[in-house]
Amino acid sequence: MSGVAVGSQVAAGAASARPKKPLRLVRAVIAIVVIAVVAASALGLDISWSSLLTAPKALAHIAHLMFGPPNWSKLPDALSATMLSVAMAWFGTVIGIVISLPLSLLATRGLVPAVVAWPIRAVFAVLRAVPEVVIAVLMLSVTGLTAFTGALAIAIGSIGTLGKWGYEAFESVDRGAIEAATAAGASRSQVMRWGVWPAAQPEVLAFWLYRFEISVRASAILGLIGAGGIGKMLVDNTQFRVWDTVGILLIVVVVVTMIIDQVSGMLRARIITGRWQLPLVGWVRRRSAARLRDASAR
Amino acid sequence: MTTLTAGGADAGRAGSALNRRPARPRTWWKPVLVLAIVVGATAWASAAVGTDPSALWRNGHNAVNTLTQLFQPDYSFFPQTLDALGETVQMAVIGTAIGVAISLPLSFLASRATNPERISYRVVRFVMNVVRAVPDLLYASIFVTVIGTGALSGIVALVLFNLGIMVKLISEALDGIDRGGQQAALASGSTWFGANRVAVLPEISPAFLSQTIYVLELNIRASTVIGLVGAGGLGMLIDKVRTFYEYHYLALIIFEILVLVLALDLLSSYVRSKVVR
Repeated sequence: MSGVAVGSQVAAGAASARPKKPLRLVRAVIAIVVIAVVAASALGLDISWSSLLTAPKALAHIAHLMFGPPNWSKLPDALSATMLSVAMAWFGTVIGIVISLPLSLLATRGLVPAVVAWPIRAVFAVLRAVPEVVIAVLMLSVTGLTAFTGALAIAIGSIGTLGKWGYEAFESVDRGAIEAATAAGASRSQVMRWGVWPAAQPEVLAFWLYRFEISVRASAILGLIGAGGIGKMLVDNTQFRVWDTVGILLIVVVVVTMIIDQVSGMLRARIITGRWQLPLVGWVRRRSAARLRDASAR
Repeated sequence: MTTLTAGGADAGRAGSALNRRPARPRTWWKPVLVLAIVVGATAWASAAVGTDPSALWRNGHNAVNTLTQLFQPDYSFFPQTLDALGETVQMAVIGTAIGVAISLPLSFLASRATNPERISYRVVRFVMNVVRAVPDLLYASIFVTVIGTGALSGIVALVLFNLGIMVKLISEALDGIDRGGQQAALASGSTWFGANRVAVLPEISPAFLSQTIYVLELNIRASTVIGLVGAGGLGMLIDKVRTFYEYHYLALIIFEILVLVLALDLLSSYVRSKVVR
């Protein structure tokens, strides 16, 4: 922006001369530092980059083993394992929502004293920093190698993100309704219910759904340490190199994740904008409109 | 909102009966239906995962045990974690650098605002949707078998993971830009490439920088985990200590991840506040 202003001033003096490029020392220094850090990391790692050259060929070979053709007879197993993963994600997210909602209200500045808000925020930050897999490793000693452990790990992990998004949403609410509720003599919990919640509700519902999408991915990962579901099946088959089964599992994971993302994205758009945006409906409508236009042109 | 205006109209019509409450809109079944679906899905999910709350009580002493060990990290283990810690950071940095560099041109291809060509737009978007749907650990476990254990597999996995996220975020940012400058450039005879470079790139660069830092943060987190399948970094160490239930050591590793992520969190919020005004 400032560059344009300076440029026009200079240009007023010498209309044909190009304005000088402003010297951006700080930017140059930052760029050099970033490049140095990347280079240092690349050199510091003990890596034989040459093995990347043979990788595409090996990858193509494995892709051929996976998809040419995949082992369709494992499809029912793959689907039921995926259902377990989705169940894990859903149940974990619901528990996370139930726990995080009151906590995030208690972490909202302006609603509660700072003494209460900051410790809760710190807990959220810690939970966000620890990966779900690590939480699951810790839970193993209590609930064993079950899908329930996975669900609990997802629940605990999602409290961190849901809590943070929650208090951010509650803090960005318009103050007017809160002041009105306070002026009418509402108690603190009544302010939360009638001043904060209605305004934040669409956003909160939308990120609950978004968190479910993340949980679906996380639940696939949790299978890795033995929490069951599609992840366990994948890791087992990859380790024993049953590639045609890995192929069908990959297809199922990708398709199910994409479907869940699409449905959840549609619901989120409905919640935020108040209108259904069905993908096919829009496409069909545009198509028929185009055909009408063509017909009338002819 | 609707109840308020309805009430106003109602009051006007029924001037005689001012105290009468406006009729409730007949949409009460909608939230009830949604609630029923949610409760039903939760009950099904709870049954499917085999919810067993009593295990929490039965094995409560284990939990207490684990927690006490967690709060007593064994600091003498620290020198042995340094290598893995460094490797995690290096993997994250390289993975971010490569992934972000590749994602920039791809995002321009994946946005309607910057790519007039329908076919490449569709193809890139579809491929990116597929890339994003595969979990990072899955990439890691595939590349570990293809390339071998070590940081390189981790980096390749992180690059793919970053591509999925970055292209989605940046192409969405591109969809939302103000296209005035671009149209001016096109109108004065520029190519689409030139118009995008001159008019769109400067507009998108703050968002791009801020997303890059966000992705770096994600990568630090992810690179601690993908090691679990043998892709290098702290994850490999976690895998080693967890098989022997050495929670003193695990506590130290978790503590290190925590410090790393929180430090990066602070750095990223500082840089973002500087970049995005």
